[in-house]
Amino acid sequence: MGEELRIPEDLARVAQERGFPLDLVRRALALGFSPSLVAAQIRAGAQPEQVAAYLEEQERVRAGGEVHIPPEVQQLARQRRWPRELIERAVRAGISMDQVKGFLESGLRADQMERVVILRERARERGGPPVTLEWMNVKTEWGIRVKPGKKGLTLGSLNVGSYGDIPDYWPRQTEMPRGAAPNPLSPSMGYSIYEKAELWADHAADLYEEAIQRQWKPATHIPWDDIPPLPEPLEQALCQLCTYMCQNAMVISDTIGKWLKEMSYGYHEVKVYMATAGFDYARHLDVFRKRAYLNGVGMGRQSPGYYLRPIKDARRWTEASTMMFIFNTSFLMHLCQVGYYTARSEGDALIFSLTMQDLARQTAYGVEHLRYFLLRKPECRLEVDGYLQKIEAFFAYEDDKDSTLQEALVVLLGGGLGQEELKRGWQLLHRFRRRWIADYLWRLEAAGMPERRQHLFFYLRQWLPQPHEATATPGGMS
Amino acid sequence: MTQEVVQAKAVFPSLEWFQLLKDMVNGDDGFRRIGTCDTTMGIKITDRQRYYLVIFEAFEVADVREVSEEEAEEADFWLEGPLSLWREMLENIKAHGKADHYHTLNTIDLELPEGFARSHDGLRRDAFYRFNQSLQYFFNASSRIDTVFED
Repeated sequence: MGEELRIPEDLARVAQERGFPLDLVRRALALGFSPSLVAAQIRAGAQPEQVAAYLEEQERVRAGGEVHIPPEVQQLARQRRWPRELIERAVRAGISMDQVKGFLESGLRADQMERVVILRERARERGGPPVTLEWMNVKTEWGIRVKPGKKGLTLGSLNVGSYGDIPDYWPRQTEMPRGAAPNPLSPSMGYSIYEKAELWADHAADLYEEAIQRQWKPATHIPWDDIPPLPEPLEQALCQLCTYMCQNAMVISDTIGKWLKEMSYGYHEVKVYMATAGFDYARHLDVFRKRAYLNGVGMGRQSPGYYLRPIKDARRWTEASTMMFIFNTSFLMHLCQVGYYTARSEGDALIFSLTMQDLARQTAYGVEHLRYFLLRKPECRLEVDGYLQKIEAFFAYEDDKDSTLQEALVVLLGGGLGQEELKRGWQLLHRFRRRWIADYLWRLEAAGMPERRQHLFFYLRQWLPQPHEATATPGGMS
Repeated sequence: MTQEVVQAKAVFPSLEWFQLLKDMVNGDDGFRRIGTCDTTMGIKITDRQRYYLVIFEAFEVADVREVSEEEAEEADFWLEGPLSLWREMLENIKAHGKADHYHTLNTIDLELPEGFARSHDGLRRDAFYRFNQSLQYFFNASSRIDTVFED
């Protein structure tokens, strides 16, 4: 304990505030423990008597004294097949006998314990402390407590105090979670979306909770044993519809995955909600594939995929989101409505109604995000109009070039392949498509784009509601 | 869905009928298991000029009220039809323990030219689809009520 063992001022102040003897502090420093570690131990309430006993044992052992191993520790060591030398090394490296006993009781194997000892020995050889505990003094907000509500402890309810501050621009390029303290060692991760307006929807956290709470499992929720085969042409038409749903689900799931890694960590509500949306589409692939296989028909013909291409090629998240979660979900809901309407078993009806439940939730994100985006970037209105023009045009091209899906729907709606049945099928499909276009335009109106009704791509105008219908509530099939 | 033996008698439409349904659903674990449901649903029995509001919150029906037509239309969406339509749906539920395919909310909505579920807002109306399983469960529970219809 020479002059070099002067106690740093900060540490001395901590010891004095807690009434901790300074001579014990000096002895600890002399043994090589860092000031920050000693201060942390004092703050944590270390008792002087226990510390004195520990230091005495360390001083004795390091001076060449024998390590005394209590009988209960010896017994545990035999059970775990730890050699005595390992315990002696541990104690000489600064690990207390209580800690050794704790490691034994927790089931650590001898080779695992040896790695712990080696780390301690290396730290001692470097002259540094085994731990610094600097992380315990980060400047994040403490004292935040959230109580569970009617829905339990929800993600959105955590946004209180400084944690509720969701900035318009996220300044971090690293993986730092919002509310954490930055670490200067963290590298930039190359995200591309740092602006709230580019991805935000106010209810994203609620949608995430809703998706988790209302998730369903195709394997067990659907009464697979109680879905008898439809008459042959109808079963085949249904399987063609299922094939389309599978292909669409894979593309959308891929697209969500592609964009997830572009979203910076400041807006985790959207990221986690999108993770559930991706999972929704995995579930849709699952359920429709199962339905196609169920009664021996299997998959039908692939869709050309022209219309899905601009979704995959979108260069801005709002572009992808608007195409996926307003245009495409509206179209898929239209397909599910046909599927539900023509279902002849409870199981088939359930498949389509549960899928609609997921799609409507995704539409809620799409509409709310577009509304948020347009309110903050009104100058982008024409750009969004262009996205819609593009997806509508690609859809029209595919719908016109490849009649596979339309014909399958007509067979389902008409109930067979006879002339009268096909005629009825086309009439009903026309009604369903009018409903689809009405709902699609109505959702855009809710998002703040009522003018799209006038700009609708000409091919889709064949299903445009008449002006007198436009003022009534959409949703019906007039 | 597990249905218990009947229960109670109430007139449709009436606030008492909706309160009975609310109490039944809130005491039913099956409703909770579907998941959270947060929406307000208006009810319009057009030819009787009777209007109700059903408020779903978290895992329960938080409230039912008799309201004006304007208040019913302030809901996320409302279900609209004459008493004969409501009666056919509820009698079908009573007969089968739950709606058959032709009397579900979805099918009725698809069949009606103006739709069964209506709204003033294209986003809020989608709550009808988002929570459809819960809404159907709510009405299916009426099989446990001995419903008497107004003449």
